[in-house]
Amino acid sequence: MPIHPFIITAWARVLDHAQAASDRLYEVCNGLVGRSWLFDNLVSLAQQNVLVKAAVLGGCFIAAWHLQRNDETTRRDRRVLMVTLFAALVVAGTTKSLSNSIFLPRPFVQSQAIYYVQGEHLVESKPLPYRVPLDDYHRKVYQDLKKGDVIQNDLVSFPSDHAGFYFTLALGILLVSRPIGWIAMGWTCIVLLASRVITGQHSPLDVVAGSAIGAAVLLVALFVARLLRWPLDQIAGWTIRHQALATVLVFVAVFEASNTLQDLPPLIETCSAIADHLFKG
Amino acid sequence: MKPTRRSLFSLTAVALASLVCSCHLDRGGMVMVTDPAYRAKLVATHADGLDTPDGILWHEGKLILADEGAGSLRAWGATGGFTTLCDSTTGIHEPEDLVADRQGNVFFTDDGAGGVWEIDHHGRVFLLAGRDQGLPSTEGIALTPSGDILVGDGKRRQVFSVDRAGKVSVFLGRRYGITKTESMVFGEQGELYIADNVDKVVYLLTPRMKLLRLLEKRDGFSPETIWYADEMLYITDSENGKLWRYTPEKGLETIAVFGGSLGHVAGVTTDESGDIFVSIPDLASGMGYIIKLEREQDS
Repeated sequence: MPIHPFIITAWARVLDHAQAASDRLYEVCNGLVGRSWLFDNLVSLAQQNVLVKAAVLGGCFIAAWHLQRNDETTRRDRRVLMVTLFAALVVAGTTKSLSNSIFLPRPFVQSQAIYYVQGEHLVESKPLPYRVPLDDYHRKVYQDLKKGDVIQNDLVSFPSDHAGFYFTLALGILLVSRPIGWIAMGWTCIVLLASRVITGQHSPLDVVAGSAIGAAVLLVALFVARLLRWPLDQIAGWTIRHQALATVLVFVAVFEASNTLQDLPPLIETCSAIADHLFKG
Repeated sequence: MKPTRRSLFSLTAVALASLVCSCHLDRGGMVMVTDPAYRAKLVATHADGLDTPDGILWHEGKLILADEGAGSLRAWGATGGFTTLCDSTTGIHEPEDLVADRQGNVFFTDDGAGGVWEIDHHGRVFLLAGRDQGLPSTEGIALTPSGDILVGDGKRRQVFSVDRAGKVSVFLGRRYGITKTESMVFGEQGELYIADNVDKVVYLLTPRMKLLRLLEKRDGFSPETIWYADEMLYITDSENGKLWRYTPEKGLETIAVFGGSLGHVAGVTTDESGDIFVSIPDLASGMGYIIKLEREQDS
């Protein structure tokens, strides 16, 4: 057998196993819901409530930013945190463009009768099992799905952009401070990301891939930051000299970052419309 | 090296593996059938010679389709495959929508070349009324009970009536406020349905010429092509990847959701047994699909 087809076949087999394992793990996680109204509402809260979703991670970031250490350590920490914010932005763009080019519906959508294109045929897939969480939001989403009300965002789940984004932030905080970092990482993995698997929004593979992309981008960003040490040092020094103003800027950046940049596109659109209105009439 | 840095490198390896495996996970395109009375079947693809189809019409046991990408009008039969009825050598550019009369004459619009074109039952192709008669970019087309052709023009934002001699007159002027007549079809009672995919409205024109806004201001609704059969209005939605049906009793219901490479659902028609055909141009790759939603025998 020629070497290339052999590698491709072997790789495809590995991926099939990985996907099968991910599906099994998803089934176990999703099996937790649909039994307790209280549990399901708490899980849903982690997905729907911005305060629960973003505030803890944002708070950890601000705490790491304001760690009272010596001047040199503070400069180094702030360099890492600034790079983390930048990396999170890149991760958001990377995962978004990847998921737009990879068509893979969310697990809860895959619970329906779906035909996929395979060569010259449409092949009906075996539906994934899905337990519907008992909270109002997920029950409504499932009822809408049964009626065919599916938004396009529910058809592209790989990789998880939330996983990439939050994991990057948590990892950046962990690089600066172990105690605060583990709180951020624990919250990210146990509350933010597990809830997405439990409710069928993402498979474990989506989450692992998103997190890994986040880590990879952060690693590259930190490497590049070493080459740009001088300008970053200047900015870090400026934040130490102007604590109040720097805190305001960091708060705004972290607020938007923790909220996965959801308010940024509408803001840019409005600003663009205002600019058009002012200059073009 | 700190453990965290080691973890970073390990995760980077996983990220690279994820990128490599992403192609394997891609499901390409999907049809999610929400009405259990139907089963989806792929009847023709680019491998059969299809380019990017738009309007389709089931007529006398054959599917006639406007292959917009190839600039041709073609007929498809389950046994004989595709035959070309006319192509760009006749002057057509981007055929859009089509109708046929009982004599087997086919009329179609062309949003690139403009005008109303005819392929008569002998197979002769000619321009019935063109740009010179004020039809620069034609879209929706319908055949009136008297045999005249109604055609919507996207640039002039009006609906025109064209008789068999090619004489053009205004049927619905600008005062009716229709922005783009993407598709038109007559109902059983002589009412005319009009889809406007810019304003996202389906209009109903009563036989007494009263224009009503039948479906409008709905989130996730943008009508592309409409088709009427068995007291039902079928609506494709290329923006949201949906095939709807509308009845006054049940309102708007989703029959199927399309996604990925099958997301841009365009034309729709039905055959005698109630099976639904939809055309799907995949604009990103320049490929096309014809999908049949087969009605289950016991439904």
